[in-house]
Amino acid sequence: MSQEAELLRAIDSIVVELLARRDRDPEDFSPVSGLAHQAAGRAREMRLARTEAQADALAVLARQQPDSFGQSLGNLYQALEQSVNELQLTAETEIEQRLTGIETPEAAAREDLDAAAGMLPDFVSEAREHLEVIELQLLALEEAPREREPVHAIFRGFHTIKGLAGICGLESARELAHTVETLLDRVRGGTLAVTPNLIELALEGSDYLRGLVDAVEESLPGGTLALPRRPAALLTRLQAFSGDEPDEDSPAASTRVAEPAAETPAEASEAAPESAAPRQQGAASVKVDTAKLDQLVDMVGELVISQTLVRLDPALQAVSEPRLARNVAQLARITSELQKTAMSLRVVPIGPAFQRMARLVRDLTLKCGKQARLEMEGEDAELDRTIVERLMDPLMHMIRNAIDHGLETVEERVAAGKSPAGRLLLKAFHQSGHIVIEVSDDGRGINHQKILNRAISRGLVASDSQLTTAEILDLIFLPGFSTAEAVTDISGRGVGMDVVRKQIHALRGRVEIRSVEGQGTTFLLRLPLTLAIIEGLVVRVGQERYIMPLYAVHEIFRPDQGALSTIEGRHEVALVRDSVVPVLRLARLLKRRNSESHDDALPVLIMVELQSKRYGLVVDEVCGKQEVVIKSLGTWLGHVPGLSGGAILGDGSVGIIVDLESLIGAEVHAATH
Amino acid sequence: MVTLTERSGPASASSGATAPGKFLTFCLGGEDFAVPVSKIKEIIGLQEVTPVPQTPDFVRGVINLRGKVVPVIDLRRKLSIPGAADNERTCVVVMQPEGRQGTYSIGVVVDAVSEVLQIQGSEMEDTNSFSHGLIRATYIHGVAKIRGKVKILLDIDSVLSDSDQANVGELMA
Repeated sequence: MSQEAELLRAIDSIVVELLARRDRDPEDFSPVSGLAHQAAGRAREMRLARTEAQADALAVLARQQPDSFGQSLGNLYQALEQSVNELQLTAETEIEQRLTGIETPEAAAREDLDAAAGMLPDFVSEAREHLEVIELQLLALEEAPREREPVHAIFRGFHTIKGLAGICGLESARELAHTVETLLDRVRGGTLAVTPNLIELALEGSDYLRGLVDAVEESLPGGTLALPRRPAALLTRLQAFSGDEPDEDSPAASTRVAEPAAETPAEASEAAPESAAPRQQGAASVKVDTAKLDQLVDMVGELVISQTLVRLDPALQAVSEPRLARNVAQLARITSELQKTAMSLRVVPIGPAFQRMARLVRDLTLKCGKQARLEMEGEDAELDRTIVERLMDPLMHMIRNAIDHGLETVEERVAAGKSPAGRLLLKAFHQSGHIVIEVSDDGRGINHQKILNRAISRGLVASDSQLTTAEILDLIFLPGFSTAEAVTDISGRGVGMDVVRKQIHALRGRVEIRSVEGQGTTFLLRLPLTLAIIEGLVVRVGQERYIMPLYAVHEIFRPDQGALSTIEGRHEVALVRDSVVPVLRLARLLKRRNSESHDDALPVLIMVELQSKRYGLVVDEVCGKQEVVIKSLGTWLGHVPGLSGGAILGDGSVGIIVDLESLIGAEVHAATH
Repeated sequence: MVTLTERSGPASASSGATAPGKFLTFCLGGEDFAVPVSKIKEIIGLQEVTPVPQTPDFVRGVINLRGKVVPVIDLRRKLSIPGAADNERTCVVVMQPEGRQGTYSIGVVVDAVSEVLQIQGSEMEDTNSFSHGLIRATYIHGVAKIRGKVKILLDIDSVLSDSDQANVGELMA
């Protein structure tokens, strides 16, 4: 055990001694005095002057007889209690300063919170989630100390918090999370056993972080950030427990001193008015349960629909009364305003997500010795919170790819007549009810011929196929296209792009790619503004109507007579502009035999694209396009394969939303097995 | 008093479904059923039901109940009672059974709703006490003898629980 830990423990034992005498009527407090004397000696050895003085004062005080103290026993006890508390405080402060090398207590408590202010709300909510998991898993671990899954979960939790805190510049949180993480890593490595003490320590760590998160949150609506002091005592005990000396990257004494020093007073005052703006905004905010918010948005969606029903009711249309018409129009305006406001409650700006990428760019460029500067545009663009959260992964992936494979080294760039530092651009903008996110670099771009050769050699396309430029670029999204080898072979922008596209598809979005060799590559992500509403295509199959998500639909047409033909008498195909496309009947996919088409009229062929593959889907009629609020089919039905939910249609009936991906996926699976 | 042997799960044990009290009675193919009014949310006329593909045949589909999507089941089919065509007396009783994740709403198509009855404990009888093992009563608590007629005390929780949130849809997969 380290000296510091011993001293703190000695002081703890004074508290215990004192507490033991609380409700009794002791002869004197001499044991307390003895312990205080010992503590003073220890502090002297460690040259902690203020702690020593405080401990001495306590020792003297405890030798007083209640009478000679001139007051009652109760008063003496109170005086002792106060003195011990001060001793604890002094010792912790002094040890902390010793460990960090910072002289004034004010400096120790202040954190480097400059540009990170915008990310703090995210830090608060995310850290809270992780702390909840940590606490739950710690308790589970207490029940079953041999289980390894909780250890991993706890480790991940602290690890993530460490990362978040690092990004936000919350040094003491980062440090603490790191220390606990080190401890857990030793448990994972089998060099440390799970004991009640360890769990206790980890819980204390999470409590401290919780306090810190609370403090950060309180400071958000405009207050000044009063962070809890660096938990020196706790850190000491943690390190003592894992048997570690503070290793070089843990308390990071040098960087802690260096970073605040770099911040000149001028910079600090510049940053102040900037950070005041978002704080003012937050000043009048309230916390709302997201479930309630969802319900509100849901109900408003219904209101919009019933308002439309009323407005378009033939009975109402028949009335020619200007006042009524005016009022109905007013109702329509108000409803649509209300809908906009309700939707806006769930949206957040994309900015903080972009800023997190800035950190990634910095770290990655350092690591691979390239130079890049990240530019951002349209950080104010807003979209649904859940989409932003689920966008982080694909964004990170694309940025990583851009730096690893897209950007050239400094020498290559100079040789190509480019500026030494690569330019990465993250840009967001709205376009016809969608948000488009652009991730571009000015790197080496993609060599079409190499991609094509690669795809041919991997058997992904026929060697004689005539592909357009866009189709060739699209090949990198094919699963199985990207391999480690591909990275070095080709200009290498294909790593895991199939995963990226899957994630974007899950958000009902699309990815597009543009690239000019030698000039760079651009990825365009087209995403809906919210997941609660989809643009749907209402189609009729027999007597039933279904809604399919419009984003998957490429084109719709009535095939000519003879355009549909069969293979082996059962597989239908269509000839669409000289290419053969497999045809599926929606009625059959949904196993609606009784509603198979008996229409004399020719059916409608809807071309859908799923994971770069095209299918023709036969329905009886296309009824129209409609925005619908997605609803679950209820807990009792749960998840029905092939369906993604229901929606209230314009006439008040329920329409079933089909999940084309899983329907067609199941069909392909059935055909191949 | 009635003892229950067929049921399982804490939900039905605590539901007090066979406690005396007010019951809604309705008929299904000539049989009279009773369900405690505490389980009834409302009674609505038969409206257009949207069929849901890939679900068992006793699931008629879903309806729009004031903005909420609520599933509707055909109790006749579920209990294998020979079906009659829908007529003007056919209606949907929206019930609130207890499931593993709490109560939920579900519409039940019945031939006709009869009345709300006060049933005394003395009027109730456990299935086992009279059936001598001839009747396997999975879905019923017992019977009530009212004015010389038998009303089946339906255990609505367990009727729906064997295809409960374990995802009715998945059963078909």
